[in-house]
Amino acid sequence: MDGIALSYADVPLELIKEFDLSRLIYERGGEKELRFFRQTKHAMLPIRHDGQVEIVSWGCRTKKLPNTGYTWLKTLEAGEWVNAEEVTILATAGIRNGIWFPIRSGIRGLLAEVDGDRAVYMLVEPATYYFKIMTRSDRMPVLIGERI
Amino acid sequence: MLIAHLDADCFYVSAERVRDSFLLGKPVGVLGNQGACVIAKSYEMKAKGVGTGEPIWEAVKKCPDGLFIKRDFRWYEVLSREMLTLVREESPFVEYYSIDEFFLSVNARDPQKFAEAIRDRILKRVGVPVTIGVARTKTLAKLVSDLAKPFGALALLGADAERTLLESRPVSDVTGIAKRSAAKLALYGIKTCWDFAQAPAPLVRRILTVVGERLCYELRGEKTIPIQTTRPPHKIVSRGGSIGQPSADPAVQWAWAVRNLERLIETLDFHGLMVGKLTLILEYKDGTTRSDAVTFEAPTIRYDFLLEGTQTLWQRLLISGLLYRMHFLASELQYPGARQLSLFDPPPRKDRRIIDLMHDVNAHHGRFALRSAVTLHLPEIYADDAHSYDICDVQGKTCF
Repeated sequence: MDGIALSYADVPLELIKEFDLSRLIYERGGEKELRFFRQTKHAMLPIRHDGQVEIVSWGCRTKKLPNTGYTWLKTLEAGEWVNAEEVTILATAGIRNGIWFPIRSGIRGLLAEVDGDRAVYMLVEPATYYFKIMTRSDRMPVLIGERI
Repeated sequence: MLIAHLDADCFYVSAERVRDSFLLGKPVGVLGNQGACVIAKSYEMKAKGVGTGEPIWEAVKKCPDGLFIKRDFRWYEVLSREMLTLVREESPFVEYYSIDEFFLSVNARDPQKFAEAIRDRILKRVGVPVTIGVARTKTLAKLVSDLAKPFGALALLGADAERTLLESRPVSDVTGIAKRSAAKLALYGIKTCWDFAQAPAPLVRRILTVVGERLCYELRGEKTIPIQTTRPPHKIVSRGGSIGQPSADPAVQWAWAVRNLERLIETLDFHGLMVGKLTLILEYKDGTTRSDAVTFEAPTIRYDFLLEGTQTLWQRLLISGLLYRMHFLASELQYPGARQLSLFDPPPRKDRRIIDLMHDVNAHHGRFALRSAVTLHLPEIYADDAHSYDICDVQGKTCF
């Protein structure tokens, strides 16, 4: 997935100030939202961790952790991750190959930490037939409580 | 007695908004069975120029911020039935015309208030915005609801008001008059609904048969098309459509044929119908369309006979190339009840118990849990439960 959108109202103001998120504000249907894209210099994602909303690096910018922003669900299921815990990536919409689609309850993510470096990875799985036709993508995010 | 036409506003989108308020006010497109085309769009997306049936890749160019959603006919049916229940509380004669359109009788003293009350109750109880038009006939009522959209309620009564409406609308706005019929009428100077209503009935009958003549009377305010409170018997039952990604693979093509045949048989079985004639239409990506039919010695619902018929048609019709659509049409139907046997009626099936068992298993474990093995060539289609419920599976509608 290339990016996500989250309703502006879902992000605490202090985080918007701390991470200068106002540059990510867009408007859709008269409602403000924050858009987080993977292909940006300092890609970030909003997550819910220990009941709190946090902004975390999307993939690792140092080489302590994998650089990619995604990981296959099967790697988690195979126990290939250590020092990592599952989190919810907060999102009200996602975008892949230019196609926006709504997301009801967020995306499954993996928060990893090594030597103080933290990064979140979006869990992905092979795309369903429908998602493949809709977005021309071979992989899809692992959505919480729904499947496209 | 007056007639109301109730039409849900961009129904599929509205239904999605009922369960996801995030979508309210945003440009939204609901995608069809394969995820490739927009089958319904919100007014916000329509304003960007996106049309129904438009491929998603064209739609996204016009509306880059649009949100695209996978269709869910089970959910849409739930809301449709809720609306139907509510409407039936208000009127003794209700026609379930389509999943998002009903006709109902109006005996209220104040039809305008009646329409407004139903519209508001549906929004409050179901959450779906609808528009209601009230007029003297079904055809007029449908024109009125079109005029009043969105979220409108309008009782259009009186000769002057009707005339103003009819003069302002092209004849092709009348349901049942397609572009080709409109072109025929234009040759006689009939361009607006008013022209059509004023045309001599024999002339209209000559151009558009008795079906067109009925519409002509309807526009004059004379009821010729009744409210159908129950679905009339089928004349034809069809199943099919796009096969998703066009395929030249014979195994995939045949798998789709058997899938569509099984869906057809399931529907025929549901209605207790037997088939006298089976037609198959194949459409190829290069524009080639081929069709043929087989007639059975006696009407049948037997899977083995219908499969044999399909194999015969398949051999006659199939050519190499990218197949992208197919349709089965079952016609010359025999209805439930006492049947006249022919001299050549086959004996009753000995494997009826197996068929019944298959129905039981599928009722418990999913609609296509047990099915023909040749459909194993479509694993992705059967892996997605949403593919097992289509708009045509919503039963009881008088229109498709």
